[in-house]
Amino acid sequence: MNRKKDKGFESPRPFKLTHQVVCINNINFQRKCVIGYVELTIFPTVVNLNRIKLNSKQCRIYRVRVNELEAPFIYNDPTLEVCHHESKQRNLNYFSSAYTAAVSAVDPDAGHGELVIKVPSELWKQGDDLKVLKVYIEFSLDQPKGGLHFVVPDVEGTMAERGAHVFSFGYQNSTRFWFPCVDSYSELCTWKLEFTVDASMVAVSCGDLVETIYTHDMRKKTFHYVLPIPTAAPNISLAVGPFEILVDPYMHEVTHFCLPQLLPLLKHSMSFLHEIFEFYEEILTCRYPYSCFKTVFVDEAYVQVSSYASMSIFSTNLLHSAMIIDQTPLTRRCLAQALAQQFFGCFISRMSWADEWVLKGISGYIYGLYLKKTFGVNEYRHWIKEELDKIVEYELKMGGVLLHPTFSGGKEKDSPMSHLHFSIKHPHTLSWEYYKMFQCKAHLVMRLIENRISMEFMLQVFNKLLSLASTASSQKYQSHMWSQMLVSTHGFLKSISNVSGKDIGPLIKQWVDQSAVVKFFGSFAFNRKRNVLELEIRQDYTSAGTQKYVGPIKVTVQELDGSFNHTLQIEENSLKHDIPCHSKSRRNKKKKIPLMNGEEVDMDLSTMDADSPLLWIRIDPDMSILRKVEFEQADFMWQYQLRFERDVVAQEEAISALEKFPTPASRLALTDILEQEQCFYKVRMQACFCLAKIANAMVSTWQGPPAMKSLFTRMFCCKSCPNIIKTNNFINFQSYFLQKTMPVAMALLRDVQNLCPKDVLNFILDLIKYNDNRKNKFSDNYYRADLIEALTNSLTPAISINNEVRTVDNLNADVRLILEEITRFLNMEKLLPSFRNTITVSCLKAIRQLQKNGHIPSEPSLFKSYAEYGHFVDVRVAAVEALVDYTRVERSSEELQWLLNMVQNDSVHYVRHKILGMLAKNPPFTKATDSALCNEALVDQLWKLMNSGTSHDWRLRCDAVNLYYNLFGLTRPSCLPLPELGLVLNLKEKKAVLNPTIKPEPGVSTVIDTPASIGIHGVGMGYSTVDEEPDPVSLGVCGVGQPPLGLKRKAETPLGSPPEPGQVLQQQEDDGGRRYKIRFNTMEEEDIDMETVHDSQAFIHHHLNLLERPSTPGKEPPLVEQSMLSMPATPVPSFPKETTSTSSKHGAEHSHHHHHHHHEHKKKKKKHKHKHKHKHKHENKDKEKDRERDNSHAYSNSPASGRSLRSPSLSD
Amino acid sequence: MADPAAASSGSLIAGARSSSGKAASSPAENYHLARRRTLQVVVSALLTECGFESAEKAAVESLTEMMQSYMNEIGRCTKAYCEHTARSIPTLSDVVVTLIEMGFNVDTLPVYAKRSQRMVITAPPVTNAPVVPKALTAGQKRTHPPHIPSHFPEFPDPHTYIKTPTFREPVSDYQVVREKAASQRRDVERALTRFMAKTGETQSLFKDDITAFPLIAAQPCTIPYLSALLPSELELQTLEETDSSEQDDQTDSENTTGNIITDDPAADKENSMLPPSGVVPSAKASEENMIDNPYLRPVKKPKVRRKK
Repeated sequence: MNRKKDKGFESPRPFKLTHQVVCINNINFQRKCVIGYVELTIFPTVVNLNRIKLNSKQCRIYRVRVNELEAPFIYNDPTLEVCHHESKQRNLNYFSSAYTAAVSAVDPDAGHGELVIKVPSELWKQGDDLKVLKVYIEFSLDQPKGGLHFVVPDVEGTMAERGAHVFSFGYQNSTRFWFPCVDSYSELCTWKLEFTVDASMVAVSCGDLVETIYTHDMRKKTFHYVLPIPTAAPNISLAVGPFEILVDPYMHEVTHFCLPQLLPLLKHSMSFLHEIFEFYEEILTCRYPYSCFKTVFVDEAYVQVSSYASMSIFSTNLLHSAMIIDQTPLTRRCLAQALAQQFFGCFISRMSWADEWVLKGISGYIYGLYLKKTFGVNEYRHWIKEELDKIVEYELKMGGVLLHPTFSGGKEKDSPMSHLHFSIKHPHTLSWEYYKMFQCKAHLVMRLIENRISMEFMLQVFNKLLSLASTASSQKYQSHMWSQMLVSTHGFLKSISNVSGKDIGPLIKQWVDQSAVVKFFGSFAFNRKRNVLELEIRQDYTSAGTQKYVGPIKVTVQELDGSFNHTLQIEENSLKHDIPCHSKSRRNKKKKIPLMNGEEVDMDLSTMDADSPLLWIRIDPDMSILRKVEFEQADFMWQYQLRFERDVVAQEEAISALEKFPTPASRLALTDILEQEQCFYKVRMQACFCLAKIANAMVSTWQGPPAMKSLFTRMFCCKSCPNIIKTNNFINFQSYFLQKTMPVAMALLRDVQNLCPKDVLNFILDLIKYNDNRKNKFSDNYYRADLIEALTNSLTPAISINNEVRTVDNLNADVRLILEEITRFLNMEKLLPSFRNTITVSCLKAIRQLQKNGHIPSEPSLFKSYAEYGHFVDVRVAAVEALVDYTRVERSSEELQWLLNMVQNDSVHYVRHKILGMLAKNPPFTKATDSALCNEALVDQLWKLMNSGTSHDWRLRCDAVNLYYNLFGLTRPSCLPLPELGLVLNLKEKKAVLNPTIKPEPGVSTVIDTPASIGIHGVGMGYSTVDEEPDPVSLGVCGVGQPPLGLKRKAETPLGSPPEPGQVLQQQEDDGGRRYKIRFNTMEEEDIDMETVHDSQAFIHHHLNLLERPSTPGKEPPLVEQSMLSMPATPVPSFPKETTSTSSKHGAEHSHHHHHHHHEHKKKKKKHKHKHKHKHKHENKDKEKDRERDNSHAYSNSPASGRSLRSPSLSD
Repeated sequence: MADPAAASSGSLIAGARSSSGKAASSPAENYHLARRRTLQVVVSALLTECGFESAEKAAVESLTEMMQSYMNEIGRCTKAYCEHTARSIPTLSDVVVTLIEMGFNVDTLPVYAKRSQRMVITAPPVTNAPVVPKALTAGQKRTHPPHIPSHFPEFPDPHTYIKTPTFREPVSDYQVVREKAASQRRDVERALTRFMAKTGETQSLFKDDITAFPLIAAQPCTIPYLSALLPSELELQTLEETDSSEQDDQTDSENTTGNIITDDPAADKENSMLPPSGVVPSAKASEENMIDNPYLRPVKKPKVRRKK
């Protein structure tokens, strides 16, 4: 594969950063603004370094000095507004490519940046001796929307008393949002960080706190941090607030910070952190790389856990008291994750985005080892299975997750991943769900590598990476060792082969360089004569997200005489595998059966097939392939597997399989497992739900009391009065979880009328009634929340007679009881709130369910009030979820607007993200369904949201893209009316739909071939339907993107890169300084640049063309000329004059569009000049691309390059 | 006026004891009415003696009232003096002391009593003093045990000192107790929430009947995480009751960070949650002195104006 760069790391920049000072002088909580400066120490690596590109978003830059000399600078952020001009494009294909291009245009990994600083010419010569340059930038941030988050509660008192705090956040490399830097994971430098804050506040940041000094007025103090370990800017963070400080009692160099009043919780929650430290240090045989570690717990966190160099920022909601059971393992997991990322992610950084999987993989993998050690092997295997199921489900649905994307040949639409509606070239273009799955797959693949080379070698590799990095980190910059701290896929694989001596190439090729998973179907027959098991394993490698697997696969067969492993080779055409059996089917009575783990057990063999010695068969029991297995074996085999196989994964598989066998035998097996206390509690919990399903399937033949009822009574109720539950005592967590789960599962039972059986409902109501937690040392909030969930599960649709209005009077008696409980619970919660308001959350879900089932009127106002800012975040999310559901069911545009409004205005980033995520998951309508909600205004609104409304938050923008995709698909939303000036054409249907009344004059096509016309082959964007009466103006400029009608090749095209759709191309004519801009997208004629058209009307008459961008990738017309040829299809004659005048009229506006970037109007000239340079570079590339395109007929579509094309500098 | 009233009091006290009245509605009432009338006669006689020819009824009434009060006071005081000296029956000296105490010159009394123009008033008719209803006696009175001399008072009625198990057997049936506890709690909760709902803003699930299932309106609060994360006081109480060992652990860990001496107010504030260093045992304290955490170090004073 394309893993180059054997010899370490090559910086994409013409300079190397060695040290950066960040100084924030003032943080104003009232106005939410920040003032400071940065100073970057850089070594030019080229002679005559004349410009420096840095990353900066959102910052207002006051001045830039290079070595004390004022330096001019340009600030241009193309991601602010992805598609320029008020384009009516509205198709996601177009947006995605434009967005990718915009992100690429400022990608620090490619050496780009938003901020371009011109090095004063006096300093150019210095490049010769590669002298150091100091770049000093003063900046401020006013009400930042991204990067830094201010939490300022609206109460009386000073900021410290109010608990106001601010912290940095972001998805991937987002440090540029709060100070100018080289925002790349591969640009390491040492840091000096200074923060002056109010004397009542603490500033926590990366590195060692050297000293804290009062300002002269004694009202503020300055925190001085030094980070001597080379660190990438994205790993720098800051948190300022009136934090309470807790020095870890076990490790004095570890300090914890939390918001006022939470110290007791902090003490409890952090009391085991030292164990995690010890664990990682032990397995990695490496000390924690930083000299200190800080944990900060903040409100309104962006994600639960984010790791930065020597500190981690957590959500304050992870803190809990000793009374809380359920949150404890979750919090420990979060801490373990954060700490794993300290080693791999913060200390060891990555060379490029394509190497991200190594970091995520290793940190996820060692986190898994921690899980195994702390929570046990069962929990670990259960987790692995869960993760595997998740990734398999996602890939089969969405079509593949690629760990190591390589971008050979510069094609932006990475062909293997074209099924996605976003580019995977940048972390910032990924959908959040994809990114989560990416992390999931990464650690699973690490585990596969471990399977292959053994854990010992694996840990040696990690140790090697770490020790190389720590050696490098202590070196001076001049030693050029720092790149050792960057991990690359190649370096990692090389390490593996050095350490283990094994070739894991095929494994990497299969899972890392390739996306998708394997889907097996297995079935078998037993050949009694030959005493052979004939196993057939088929694969589906044609559907989306699947790939073909060739290689070994382990099969475990449990026979009467024991358990036997077989390794089969999956080859191209061999489906059948013969496996000789060891035992004879004649069974030895009274003989114990040996299991895989050496245990010997008695089994009741009466249910099995007398002719076969097979008890059960498992395919790939170790999960050493990323696969989904659908295996067919008889129900009794699944039952044996459930009862006697000791692996929790096998038990869980058996439970899922038994859902299809609703028989008394299955029931017995499940009940037995439920009662077995040695069995893993999560398996038992799963068995509950399976039992409920089986009971429902067997409803007509079911004997005895409702499933699980007698079991529950026996386990949790009083001996003397079985209808009353014991007073709570949750000291045994296994039975606690079972006690929580069983009522929830029981409530899913249905009788013959498909209603929840009366005695089950009464039973649950009694559980609520008699619940008594007074003697319990643990809180019962989760238990009560689950009881409410059980009530919710018991609900069935109301029988409604002729759609009567739901009133109190016609309320069903059972529902009245349920409602009574919910009302009481919800009201009590106001007086005695439960931990994380779990009960409110459950109540809201229950109320929504009551509404949905028609028991009470469907009404959104309650949820709206709970969704407001000021409620606990879990409550808000639950309320929003109910609203999203309401929006879908009731097709309410008002609520949809309300939600979208919240996406735009809410101050909690997490909530905004959640709303979009939930809307995408439970969309109010889809492409396939017709809905009144789907209208032009909504399209415009969402388009605006992703185009410019979410520029401050990568994650949110991708969420918006995701929602847009789920609502409208990749193509132009069908609800849009015809574009006013649009071209009459429908490429999607590939119909020559236009009324070909008008044929272009022959002259037109002739001229097209003149040099001037070359380069018009960008992607045209007119996208419309046929039947609208074409506006004369538009017709004048219409080109039709229909397939070739015999056009000439365009090989001579000098400017190969297709322009950004909807943008204007400028062309230089041979004969002089005249420039032309040609609008491709006539839907907005106002975009024609006035200054370029004034003297070229005649030309434009002939050449304005509208090119059609195809609606789906792959159908694009390869060449512009071809599109032009289809001009004959234009139905009405063109009116060149009108075109021109209209164009001129709007020219001014257009030029405005060019420079929408703030504070940059004055620097227009300079910028253009810069663009010119920039352009030349592109030109070469573009030429190459052109050649490629000639061959491939594929389009690359880059706004960035497009922009350079229309740059005025082209004229000279 | 005080004199004649006081003068008559001596005789009246004796007189009052044996007076009686006409029959009225109830014997006790009659008794009192009769005495009152006698008192009125006395007052009138004294007035006549002093030379008044007539008096308004209201004036006589007032004077009677005053006299009665005066005599009451004498009686009360006398009784107090008598009891003060551990007696139950007043003696003459008790009366004398009382009179002296009340500012009356006792020496003048014999002269006054023997004055010539005094009027003799007929003794009030003898009426039966109202019968005090006899206390209900229950059970057999116990006789003194042999070691108690017989002159000691008798035992009171047995019911006054003997435990009488009159209550029912407490409900010890588990089921009933649980039932009761559950329904009590539910009633309390319902009443409380209804009350809260009635007195505050509510939300309703039904449009037709907004009182049907009143929900206390959701009020956004400024710092929502505090109430959501911190255990409620009720829960803390239970925790204390159920487990004290863990509490000990907590205080232990608290102590670990306790010994922080900061010299500026801001740092004090940050550490205000930490217990004062005084409670830390000395062994621990010395260990903590070794904690060198940069966040616990004192904040430095600014240096003398550096050139920036």
